[in-house]
Amino acid sequence: MVSLDGAKHGRTAQEAKDTLQSLTDLRPVAAVVLGSGVDLLEGLQDAVSISFKDLFGISPQVEGHSGKVTIGVLDYEGVKKPVAVFRGRFHLYEGHPWQAVTLAASCVVACGIPNMILTNAAGGLNLDFNVGDLMVLTGYRDHLSPEWRQKGLVGAVMQEPTDCKNALTEKLIELGQTLHQKDKGFRALRTGVYAGLLGPSYETMAEVEMLRRLKADAVGMSTVPELLTCKGTQTQACAVSVITNVWKPDEAMGGHEEVLEASKAASKRLDKLFREAIITL
Amino acid sequence: MRYAKRLDFTGTLDKQEWYSPSEGLYDQATKDLIRNQDKAELVIVVDRAYNCADPSQAHLVVDHINLTGDNPLVGPNDNAVGPRFPVVNNIYLCSADLIDQEETWSIGNPLGKLPTGIAAGVKAGVRLDDQEWQTVKGLGADFYCYNLVQCMILAAHRGLPVVGIALPEGAQLDEQMMIALVR
Repeated sequence: MVSLDGAKHGRTAQEAKDTLQSLTDLRPVAAVVLGSGVDLLEGLQDAVSISFKDLFGISPQVEGHSGKVTIGVLDYEGVKKPVAVFRGRFHLYEGHPWQAVTLAASCVVACGIPNMILTNAAGGLNLDFNVGDLMVLTGYRDHLSPEWRQKGLVGAVMQEPTDCKNALTEKLIELGQTLHQKDKGFRALRTGVYAGLLGPSYETMAEVEMLRRLKADAVGMSTVPELLTCKGTQTQACAVSVITNVWKPDEAMGGHEEVLEASKAASKRLDKLFREAIITL
Repeated sequence: MRYAKRLDFTGTLDKQEWYSPSEGLYDQATKDLIRNQDKAELVIVVDRAYNCADPSQAHLVVDHINLTGDNPLVGPNDNAVGPRFPVVNNIYLCSADLIDQEETWSIGNPLGKLPTGIAAGVKAGVRLDDQEWQTVKGLGADFYCYNLVQCMILAAHRGLPVVGIALPEGAQLDEQMMIALVR
């Protein structure tokens, strides 16, 4: 892994872009952001890696987030595509400002990477979901923008979910259907609305019920800032949630370890889905 | 007898027995008080409640919805106090939990007789208009408060159960209730 002096590199999207592009001549067709415990797209060829600390000047502080960017060539079924993999992200609940939380996405946009695929670990609100399901986001609820931190969330809950479907979303859904038809062991993908909350405490049962009434299918503490950052840019973004638990009445809620365990089990299917998708980009 | 941290945000209770922040709002001192590692086994919070269906009496809080847009645990976590991602379900002590307390049996557990409800925590000082309140009510809230939710999250992080009392404007805690809470 390339080691740089974090104090002298990164901190702005433009600086991060310059640093990344000085490391390699590869120009990724997609950037993939991996959330809590999601581990995939290993074995890239001609890979170079750099820590978040060296690239952005700060590091994630949450278990399950290694905080490293790797750029390399994905070689899958005879097709080669350059890709950037961000292992970890910054969260508002860590105390990072909005600018830091959106820094990786801003860097991807600044680099002109045309596709961004986000992942996260999420709690399932939809009672049809099972632990380990993958949900492609077709919409999201923003409950963590700076505006809501300032005003409170009453205005946010009065809004409808934001649609985030695009060609990349459709591609993932179609590929998921194909993989499921070929192999019944590959669970059918779910689609739905993700509610992005500030955290870090998990939801109460009253909040779970509220989110269900607000038409959310899964809930987490990330992803929405990155989707908002890519909105209206040349970078097309989509996101997939790994359902790590399902909120059901009279069932105890697990902790962060459960989240990490469920993420690992679903990572294999997610890895296949992403490899299939990226080689078509 | 269980030692409790007693917080009053209504400014109506005896300041000798209750901690009451100067502005009547959750502040850093409140946070420090709850996080302080002492022998406390629970936290009792009395907060002002707005839009209660029955404004004449106190309500026992059984759950909450955080609409403040904030969380007191944002920032680096102190693992000595509690986990990074605390589970906050079932942290409110309800009437069933309280009814067998030896300390209150002689006065018939007045807490157990209170109506119960779900509190929405909103930004301090914000008064909801009719449309906003109908939305919040439609999402499951029975009334809204300014301070209770932050206290509850901090208590949950610290591993302490909470007795949450929502007191509508003009309503007061009766004497037996006060005895039960202080005991």
